[in-house]
Amino acid sequence: MAEAFMAYPELRHPFQETPIHPNGSATVLYQGRTITLSETGGDDNLLIKPEDLGRINGFELKPEGACYADMCIPLNDELLLTREGEQWFDLTAFADLLEQPYVVDREAGVWSFAEIPAKRRNMMVDAMAPEFEVTDRKGNVVRMADLKGKKALIVTWSSW
Amino acid sequence: MPVWQQVYEEINDPNFVIICAAEDVGGEAVAGPIFDAVNPTYIQVVDVDHIISSAFNFVNVPSSAWIDEEGRVVRIDEGTYSKTHAIGEGEQAITFGNDVYTPALKDWVAKGADSEFVQSAEAVTGNIREHSFDQLKADAAFRLGNLFRGHGQKEKAESYWQMARELNPDSVNFIRQNLTLTEEGSAGETFMQLMGDYVSEGREYYRPLDL
Repeated sequence: MAEAFMAYPELRHPFQETPIHPNGSATVLYQGRTITLSETGGDDNLLIKPEDLGRINGFELKPEGACYADMCIPLNDELLLTREGEQWFDLTAFADLLEQPYVVDREAGVWSFAEIPAKRRNMMVDAMAPEFEVTDRKGNVVRMADLKGKKALIVTWSSW
Repeated sequence: MPVWQQVYEEINDPNFVIICAAEDVGGEAVAGPIFDAVNPTYIQVVDVDHIISSAFNFVNVPSSAWIDEEGRVVRIDEGTYSKTHAIGEGEQAITFGNDVYTPALKDWVAKGADSEFVQSAEAVTGNIREHSFDQLKADAAFRLGNLFRGHGQKEKAESYWQMARELNPDSVNFIRQNLTLTEEGSAGETFMQLMGDYVSEGREYYRPLDL
């Protein structure tokens, strides 16, 4: 048996505890973004301030609903609700409606959302590349939409 | 894979880009020096959360997609090697990769839709893995584990990474990335055992290279 390859063994156990967010906050993970929310509500569900929706998943609240590109999800009392005079948006009910999976660590107050399946539908139907957004090593944001007009090879690798 | 720099220079077409994404939770500290060793001029991404693999439903590295000027995927999910590589010497040598992928890529960049290596939308969608609700959920679990890893909470990191593995057993990326936390590393006996199981269960970590 060949000796196991151990790239960068000093990085194997880099565990040094640091706080995830200030006390009383919550954290949402979505598509590589880490969003700290200072105000949230709800017991089982995650209620967010409506103005935070856009910076989490790009949806915008309009009269016709919560909209992203050509998709609009009509709002109802379960999605947009008022509690003690404050308006909230139920992000978990929205995810359930869109069949968007999520995993929550309630102890830490972190909600991790997977991609919204509807955003990927074009790839499965007519082979159109999915949207993605990543930041390159120079700090530039790279989006699928920015590649239009060019051919692209997108290739993954790893050190492990 | 950083070795794509040579191919990028040989193609030398201003209307062709390479986005090379390191699927590495270790981040810049791990992937950066490997990139820097070849002074790349293509777009380099250290993809801690495996965003690219998730977007294209890749389950292993190196995997790739060719995308044309209109944003259409024309090939996807193949073991993507720029040439045949060898590890070791003589009878002990292990070879992997191939010498047909790079010429095909160059042909496509030169000829576009007229290249014989462009696949139909039907063929491409047939090669895209459909991910179930649970497999999508695995991405969310994996990223939660990454967050805890970054904040020094090893037990939680391991538990969410394990959840990711169970939710998406097709992902070699998750199997190997998780093993980087162990003393044995990502290519030791445990990995060999897991990959033996993976193959015997009939899973494929790349689509067949149809060139």
